[in-house]
Amino acid sequence: MKGAYRRLQSEVGAESLPLLAFLLIMVVAFSMATPRFLTTANFSSMAFQLPVLGLLTLAMLVPILSGGLNLAVIFTANISGLALAWTLIKFGGPDGGTMALIFGMAAAIAVGAASGWVMGLVIAYTGAHPILVSLAMMIFLRGLGEFLTRGGDISGFPDQLNIIGHGGVLGIPVPMIIFCAAAIVWHVMLRRTRHGFAVYMVGSNIEASEYSGIHTKRTITVLYTISGVICAAAGIMMAARFNSVRVGHGEAFLLVTVLACFLGGIDPFGGFGKVLPVFVALIILQVLSSGLNLLGANQHLSTAVWGLFLIGVMAARWIAGNLPFLQRGKIH
Amino acid sequence: MERMLKWVTLAAIATGLASAAGAQNSTMGVVVKIGGIPWFNAMEVGIEERAAEIGMDAEMIGPTSADPALQVRAIEDLIAKGVDVIGVVPNDETALEPVLKKAMDAGIKVVAHEGPGLQNVDWNFELASVDGFGEAHAQLLAEKIGGPGKFAVFVGSLTVPLHNAWADAAIAWMAENHPEIELVGERYGVAENVDDSRTTALDLIAANPDLKGFLAFGSQGPIGAGRAIEERRLAGKVHVLGPFSPGQGQKLVKAGILSGGYMWNPAEAGRVFVTMGKLLVDGVDIVDGMEIEGLGVVSPDAANRDIITDNLLEINADTVDELAAKGL
Repeated sequence: MKGAYRRLQSEVGAESLPLLAFLLIMVVAFSMATPRFLTTANFSSMAFQLPVLGLLTLAMLVPILSGGLNLAVIFTANISGLALAWTLIKFGGPDGGTMALIFGMAAAIAVGAASGWVMGLVIAYTGAHPILVSLAMMIFLRGLGEFLTRGGDISGFPDQLNIIGHGGVLGIPVPMIIFCAAAIVWHVMLRRTRHGFAVYMVGSNIEASEYSGIHTKRTITVLYTISGVICAAAGIMMAARFNSVRVGHGEAFLLVTVLACFLGGIDPFGGFGKVLPVFVALIILQVLSSGLNLLGANQHLSTAVWGLFLIGVMAARWIAGNLPFLQRGKIH
Repeated sequence: MERMLKWVTLAAIATGLASAAGAQNSTMGVVVKIGGIPWFNAMEVGIEERAAEIGMDAEMIGPTSADPALQVRAIEDLIAKGVDVIGVVPNDETALEPVLKKAMDAGIKVVAHEGPGLQNVDWNFELASVDGFGEAHAQLLAEKIGGPGKFAVFVGSLTVPLHNAWADAAIAWMAENHPEIELVGERYGVAENVDDSRTTALDLIAANPDLKGFLAFGSQGPIGAGRAIEERRLAGKVHVLGPFSPGQGQKLVKAGILSGGYMWNPAEAGRVFVTMGKLLVDGVDIVDGMEIEGLGVVSPDAANRDIITDNLLEINADTVDELAAKGL
């Protein structure tokens, strides 16, 4: 029994169970505070809202695990969205049909991957700090996007795109299905593949990894490319959700993705952390924000509660790690 | 245990923050561009006052940044909350269409302000029409000049559609009604910058001794041109008009350098939101010639779902203090 619990913990991460417990408390508290909370409408609304932020958080997660950061996630998503929009408009706009959509998505993913790849190459081969490189990329992509669109938006897409943003299968929103699938792929990639192992090792100690024969430069290039691909997925989803593409859509999410990663127990210095706790942390953030909205609280207040929550989690982690009576039976 | 306690406390804070809405009144949520700025603070006051008067439960939701993605989230939450009316001042019209369609499909009434292009709305209302706003400024300038002379027009930038539309309307009105007042040059795209407005105004005054007035569309244009007038001690001889922030222009207006301008009142817009929401919930048809409090007699454009009125608020020496005190 105890062994099974340990195995579960090592697979999903020690952070997950307390976070799940906290999520449960939040849900119970909000349900008592307002009858509107425990309704299908509310859960469906949350499930539609979460995935864009979720995909962007996955894009942020792997660079942080490798000891870096990707500040360009939002604008990579925007520029990929522009590639999608451009292709759709070229192939007939609203009457483009499914083939145009597939071409468009391929174009978006190619653009996202290319931007991630360039970033990865620069970080891997020049040794420049990822914050600087991704900041430069963010400014470049933003400027490029605003130059190409003159700050305006592009709309007029085929109806099939609508399914990605607003459709449902058996009552489950399509965006949520896509996000869950992406999260599972991320979990498997990090825990079960050579690349995932290499990411953790690079994040823990890049020099030791290099000496142990891990191709660190390739690992870094690949991980930023993958981050770019998932950004493109987020860009496609944003285009579908808003039925339009504009540089700057989702700008407010940048720091929230970092927040979600840290809440989910990803080590800010890299090397440690798992996907599931981040997934739970995202749900908690969504529950907090939707719950407070249902209660009619000020938006700035929900931001404040998010911050307070992060501080609380940090404090709880410190207490759990430092009080002797909690240490019984724990192995470090 | 400590960990548990921390979390329980946090949850208690979160739940204790606000009280649930009453069950009887119709409910309304107004999502604005961004919260915590004076313009929308004034709108919130208007919404709350009017809601208390006519028995609605209305709240304003101001996202923490002017990002359409946050407006979409706020509207999703309002749909989940099951409000009767959603009001919106869009950051980006097209980005909101899908979620507003979802709201309308759910039987929620939608009222917009400053969103004339929106499709999925019951009504969009404006307190200032493009032509009316430009013409009102031209008319005021003609009154102030009171005879032949020349005037120059500033806009925020040559690519700001709204400013240029105002300028077009003002210039056309002036050419038609006061041909003796001539336009100098084309128009100058300097009005978002105080310094550029000031130097351009100084140059124009030097080059045109018979220059009598400036029309400056763009928040910094009147201030910059006003400074130029102040430097050259031309107050009363050269008139400066345009929409500006009352708080920023207060001193110049008091000194008689800025003649004034027009704006529309965000608090009034807030009141109209609630009035419109109530009418929609009660199922009142909005027809030509009907009088709506705050809008006056309306002639709605049923095809585009627009109600455009001219309820301008004059900024002058008498009103500027009150407006500035509201933080506008």
